[in-house]
Amino acid sequence: MNTNDTILNIENLKVYFYNDYGQELKAVDDISFQVYKGETIALVGESGCGKSVTSLALMRLIDSNGKIVGGKINFNNSDLLFLSEKQMQNIRGKDISMIFQEPASALNPVYTIGDQIIEAITLHQKVGHHEARKRAVEMFKLVGIPDPEKRLNEYPHELSGGMKQRGMIAMALSCHPQLLIADEPTTSLDVTIQAQIIELMISLQKQLNMAVILITHDLGIVANMAKRIIVMYAGKIVEEGDRHDIFKNPCHPYTIGLLRSIPRLDIEQEKLDSIPGMVPDPSQFPQGCRFRNRCSFEDEQCLNQPNKVNVSLNHFVYCHHWKKINQHSIEKCKIDE
Amino acid sequence: MKSETHRIIKKLFLNASAIIGFVLLGVFIVIAIFAPFIAPPKEGRDPYMMPIVTWTSSPQPPSPEHPFGVAGKRDIFYGVIWGTRTAFRVGIIVTVVSTLIGLFIGSIAGYYGKLFDEILMRITDIFMAIPFLVAALVLAAILGSGLNKVMIAMTIFGWMYPARLIRGNILQVKEEQYIMAAKALGVKDYLIIIRHVLPNTIFPVLIQASMRMGSLVITAAALSFLGVGAPQGYSDWGALLNYSRNWMLGGQGEALLYWYSTVFPGAAMVLFVLSWNLVGDALRDVFDPRLRV
Amino acid sequence: MIVLRREFYFPSGVEGLIVLIFYIIRRVLFIPITLFGISLIVFSMIGMLSPYQRLATFISSPDRLKSENVDQLISMYGLDDPIPVQYGRWFKNLLQGNLGWSYVGKAPVLQALLQRFPYTLELTLYSAIPIILIGTWMGVLSALHHNRTLDHSLRIFAVVGWSFPDFVFGLFVLMIFYSTLGLFPPGNLSLWAEGIVKSTSFRSFTGMTTIDALLNGRLDVFINALRHLVGPVLTLTYVQLAYILRITRSSMLDVLQRDYVRTARAKGLDERIVINKHAKRNAMIPVATVSGQTIVGLMAGTVIVEAIFNRTGLGSFLALAAQQLDYASIMGGVLFFGLILIIGNLLVDISYAYIDPRVRLD
Repeated sequence: MNTNDTILNIENLKVYFYNDYGQELKAVDDISFQVYKGETIALVGESGCGKSVTSLALMRLIDSNGKIVGGKINFNNSDLLFLSEKQMQNIRGKDISMIFQEPASALNPVYTIGDQIIEAITLHQKVGHHEARKRAVEMFKLVGIPDPEKRLNEYPHELSGGMKQRGMIAMALSCHPQLLIADEPTTSLDVTIQAQIIELMISLQKQLNMAVILITHDLGIVANMAKRIIVMYAGKIVEEGDRHDIFKNPCHPYTIGLLRSIPRLDIEQEKLDSIPGMVPDPSQFPQGCRFRNRCSFEDEQCLNQPNKVNVSLNHFVYCHHWKKINQHSIEKCKIDE
Repeated sequence: MKSETHRIIKKLFLNASAIIGFVLLGVFIVIAIFAPFIAPPKEGRDPYMMPIVTWTSSPQPPSPEHPFGVAGKRDIFYGVIWGTRTAFRVGIIVTVVSTLIGLFIGSIAGYYGKLFDEILMRITDIFMAIPFLVAALVLAAILGSGLNKVMIAMTIFGWMYPARLIRGNILQVKEEQYIMAAKALGVKDYLIIIRHVLPNTIFPVLIQASMRMGSLVITAAALSFLGVGAPQGYSDWGALLNYSRNWMLGGQGEALLYWYSTVFPGAAMVLFVLSWNLVGDALRDVFDPRLRV
Repeated sequence: MIVLRREFYFPSGVEGLIVLIFYIIRRVLFIPITLFGISLIVFSMIGMLSPYQRLATFISSPDRLKSENVDQLISMYGLDDPIPVQYGRWFKNLLQGNLGWSYVGKAPVLQALLQRFPYTLELTLYSAIPIILIGTWMGVLSALHHNRTLDHSLRIFAVVGWSFPDFVFGLFVLMIFYSTLGLFPPGNLSLWAEGIVKSTSFRSFTGMTTIDALLNGRLDVFINALRHLVGPVLTLTYVQLAYILRITRSSMLDVLQRDYVRTARAKGLDERIVINKHAKRNAMIPVATVSGQTIVGLMAGTVIVEAIFNRTGLGSFLALAAQQLDYASIMGGVLFFGLILIIGNLLVDISYAYIDPRVRLD
């Protein structure tokens, strides 16, 4: 990838939280990745792995009981961590936008959806109310909301779930951001609506030439949408690579576990595969590789943090035994077939 | 289970305001219990009547024999101490009875809904449209003075608040899955109410009851203050304040001379209500932090 | 107050307006029923008195009671008829606008009520506005400084205020500010100002002294009236203020955690706008619910406060009537009070529906 196309470069980001007992919870612990112009990159992992925290850190919207304790976030040649609040406000909603998981609670119930999107437009685009309204209608058309003029006057609770999410997308894209962060955008929607929303996002991305960070635990959507995949576990990146590489040639036991735990209709499964054990408590991460307590390939080497290993072009993994694991999983796949 | 109790106790006592509340309440309870020792009544007299200790009508400042001073010819200290018992008596009886009535009515309205609910709620609205103090005043005036009549009046006009609260909670809980499950199993209605609905809806009512203790005592005192309620000379904080009222209206700094006639009974009242409010707050923190005000 | 149920949704636009109008009509229709209920309750309470007791309010001097005419008087006034008959008679009079004669007011009841109502209204307005404005402001402030010093001090203030009986506070106010400092005297007006108001050159527009004084161009009377208002307003305000503070604070704390606040920030809005526009509007919703209760509390409070501060008004009228068992005044007064409360609650409920569009008006 041409480095000129990098719009976001995160280096060694660390975000820690502090609870009432004074414990330090390392929600995001030294992660680095890039996002290129116009591409979709997926952050995948279970709840609590730090993917949402990463995106919030990007926007500098971390709650008061958390802190970004280290790292760099380079966006358009400036380090976001050094910008003033006012400068960040300029970027939010305009250059980087975010949509959230529950559109029902993410929209203010006492204002019409039109008011909320017009608010964003007048804020960043410096136009009057009338013009902003016109653009709002256009955005609604763009995201596929029928009868946009009428819908603008409705309150969030009067819209269906899918409609609400479209509205959110319209609001987020109203100022044509370079980067859209989508945090579990379809998780709370019906399956059929999910498909529609994903298609919408793919088409919008093409039209607006926008980069997207897709945060999700659903590998199905990832397969459809993402060009590159980053797998996170317990605050760290465990594997990253192109979609093809990850799906066909996974190297980290967690990635493999994730892929195998997807229920499949095409092969006979007596039991669904699941990864044994549980995500460790953030206040008590095991020493060394954080996955080792759930890994059948664990040994003393794993007491040390694994290094970044280059598997192939653009495919990296953080595991001591990746070769063995990768081999084993290929064989297992052959047996299953 | 043990850790749950442990957690509750810990929460109850680690909170500064909760500690203050419980301590204050404890002090009042002690005073009420040991009243005969702290302020010994004269032989053969009704202990609740404050003794007449002087012939002058104007208040006398605190002195060794009368630590809180004298007002209305009576010993303020005596009145404050025995008034504690009065406060507890009135407060507890009225709170308990009105809460029970309210629970009963509110449960029926909430659980059976529809017509029951409409009618009972309209009746509740009607009762609530009459200002509590006015209604209690009128009723007490009609029934004649005396603390018992005051308590009846306050009960008749006090059940609406727990009723509305429990009704609202029941309406919410009614739609919960576990109620439908019980119904589907054929459990009788009244059993469902007792075993499933009430335990989940009772805590706000308890919390409200503890808050109401304070306001009920205030209202009872207000009624005594207005001359309706406790008979002349009865140990009641409101009655004591009534004695001081006329002297407060005298200008030229006279009122400050007689500060003790207002401050001592007044402080007793404020602290009493404060303790119940703090205890109510503490209970609320423990049982449902979401309700926290 | 009829509890609003939030199960369904309130449509916007023209549809919404129609729903609103129907709702108002329905509520207004309910008013007579509620008043009827109130009158029944109060009348039956009075009915518990014996005819002799009730006769006493018609007789101005005790001597007349001793004469043999007593029984005659009783049957003349119909005091020994069955209660429902008496109620019917009272009701019929009511429909004709006749509420009877007020013993304590020395005038027809209706007139006595209407005369005194503006004073109480004035007191209530001067209290309600600071309570809502200051209370919500403090509550928001407290929430924004969650768990810091300002928050703790405000909360202590709130708890103590909520525990302070209003009449005790009133006594303290009198003791400190009037007796010692001579600042805020009891009563409605000083003698000299009273003279001016009662004179023919002073036109009474609203019956509320402060407004009338301004409209008559008499600034001195205005200021004097204000001075007399401070004590009672302070007393009425203090307790309710604490309550509003607590409600606002908890509501604000809750709202600040909501997702839509995060969305507002993610849009790039300045924090001030996030708080004032997005958070506050939602936080005020429970406050609106509670303000109906606050109005009730205020009106009930005027009974005591007017009594302590020796002010003319509906509250002291009712208190006196109750003490003297002037049952015509009691009936009329309670009905009047009730009517005002119901209308007040209705206004609050309507404004509540305006603030929160999710509410179903039922």
